[in-house]
Amino acid sequence: MTTTTAGVHRQLTAESEAAIDSVRIFSAFTITATFWLLLTTAVGLLLSFKFTYPDLAANPLLSFGRLRAIHTNGTFYGWASVALTGLAFYVAARTSGVQLQQRKLAWAALWCFNLAAALGTITLDLGISNGSQEYREWVWWVACIFLLAVVLSGIVTVATVMARTGQDIYISNWYTIGAFIFTTILGITAAIPFYQYGLGEVAVQGFYMHNAVGMWFTFLALGMTYYALPKLLNRPIYSYALGVLGFWTNLVFYPIIGAHHYEFSPLPWWFQTLAIVFSVGMLVPVWAGSGNFFLTMRGRWAIIRRSYALPFFFVGILYYFIGSTQGTLEAFRSLQALWHMTNFTVGHSHLTMYGFITFLTWGGIYALLPMATGKRPALLLVGLHFWMAFLGVTIYVIVLSIAGTVQGITWANGDPFIASVEAAAPYWSARAISGTMMLIAHVIFAVNVWKMTAGRAEPEPV
Amino acid sequence: MRKGMDHVGVLVFSAAAIYATLAILIGVIPGTVLSKSPAGRGVVPLDAAQARGRAVYVGEGCSYCHTQFVRPLAQDRVWGRASVAGDYTYSTPQLLGTERTGPDLSNIGVRQPSDVWHSIHLYQPRSLVTGSIMPPYPWLFVVKDKADPGDVVVNVPAAYAPPGKVIVATADEQDLVAYLVSLKQAALPSPAP
Repeated sequence: MTTTTAGVHRQLTAESEAAIDSVRIFSAFTITATFWLLLTTAVGLLLSFKFTYPDLAANPLLSFGRLRAIHTNGTFYGWASVALTGLAFYVAARTSGVQLQQRKLAWAALWCFNLAAALGTITLDLGISNGSQEYREWVWWVACIFLLAVVLSGIVTVATVMARTGQDIYISNWYTIGAFIFTTILGITAAIPFYQYGLGEVAVQGFYMHNAVGMWFTFLALGMTYYALPKLLNRPIYSYALGVLGFWTNLVFYPIIGAHHYEFSPLPWWFQTLAIVFSVGMLVPVWAGSGNFFLTMRGRWAIIRRSYALPFFFVGILYYFIGSTQGTLEAFRSLQALWHMTNFTVGHSHLTMYGFITFLTWGGIYALLPMATGKRPALLLVGLHFWMAFLGVTIYVIVLSIAGTVQGITWANGDPFIASVEAAAPYWSARAISGTMMLIAHVIFAVNVWKMTAGRAEPEPV
Repeated sequence: MRKGMDHVGVLVFSAAAIYATLAILIGVIPGTVLSKSPAGRGVVPLDAAQARGRAVYVGEGCSYCHTQFVRPLAQDRVWGRASVAGDYTYSTPQLLGTERTGPDLSNIGVRQPSDVWHSIHLYQPRSLVTGSIMPPYPWLFVVKDKADPGDVVVNVPAAYAPPGKVIVATADEQDLVAYLVSLKQAALPSPAP
């Protein structure tokens, strides 16, 4: 019987090696994402000080016009994309009851994500840009490396779900597999240059910039939440059907609304109107999703208050609801006339990308990474992270919303342009203070990530 | 037996098919059609220097604060007439922008036609516009002890210039100014009487 024992032993060794490799992948995605969060939000903070001290760091490598794209692309494609992909892998494996499949491809995806973020940052800092078209400033060959990472990550996730032991594909994996597929199609659409000239490029840009947020980050973050939230609360999701409704309505409505970024532009008027109509339609997936999560949390406030991760989920879902509903209102022409091109838009993008996406990402990491590694951060530091980030982003959004409103009012009054700069100035100073709080929160988060990943993994029993 | 949406292939295929269809309808077709917008009367391609200047404008990220698109709204009349499709035929990459922290530049060549003004302003915006928060662009200039023949000297007000030195515009700076000065809205044909 010795051969059988040896065989079992070999199998067990392979199994535990796979488990260790999976934990390492999760840790490596989280650690590198945290690096990009720290770097690119430090950049964001420098940018915020430049509004008050415009002669600060008057060096081409530290100039506003180059660093702004480094901040936005780095937080999008370095921080949130990498962190959420690491979480998607973990969720795919857990919900499928197997180890992560195609782990070599997962490592390759990690390298590609980080290579793209590094090259994108360097090229933008040298003034090499695809034009200041938000979130696709990286030149095409850098964007292609990122796209390769997305495709590889999609293969890993699909392979893991195909190896599942149960019959159903859990709703989380619908969302994350969807995110990888949509972003692959979106990336190809945006990267092909042969049909994008002048106003045609404006149309594609409206489509791209909005979809890069809503078909990528929203799907990844919601998918992860559909796993982590019920797990943390130890109760099933309130309604599986609402999750399915959210998936299909988000898929059909979201791609149509990008043109609301170019209202009152020479894009065809009906095309803008179509975008506004479907922006209202977006209330269906947003309220279905956030309502579903709130109903899952109902009556469990005592647990939420004491948890590491649940307060982050609570804020993330609350800001998903507020930020996306605000997005619908902003799309109306009457409000666009006031707020478009003002700082109100920047407030909105932080309410959503930070308040919604980043808070859910943090919630996911605090919920799931300790399960994978068996290491917990200090509760005090998690609390400090939460409050600095929560107060920071809340102040940020409020002051920039006021700044944008006063900018819009001075324009509507027909004041000299400089009046809008002077009127917004105190709010820009307040924004720099809130940005400082956010960066402090990120440093604390980095310490917590170190606590959760350093040393030998001791996974908790499932 | 796995059926319907519990089959990975069905999920992947249906999601991909729906999204690809929407990407074509909302992205590719509008992109293709609008790319063929004919140039408005008086809208001409940039010359070589202006085109190089536009590349500097792109690389320095000017359009994060300066739009090039005038809305058909009362508050935008100060920037010129409302922009139309024919204005953008030769504008790739497009520079419409989404934020107006600084003024719209669709018609800056009409409001500020002077090369000298633009050069001084790029070297130190606050030397000309009190309260401006535009970044300075000193790397588009060379500071020398004295000018060489052929140098384009920029006479920055003494309070903002390094004492005893001359400030000379680089080729990039001259191209950028050529581009800025070229930004003039073409007159629309008058409506029939």
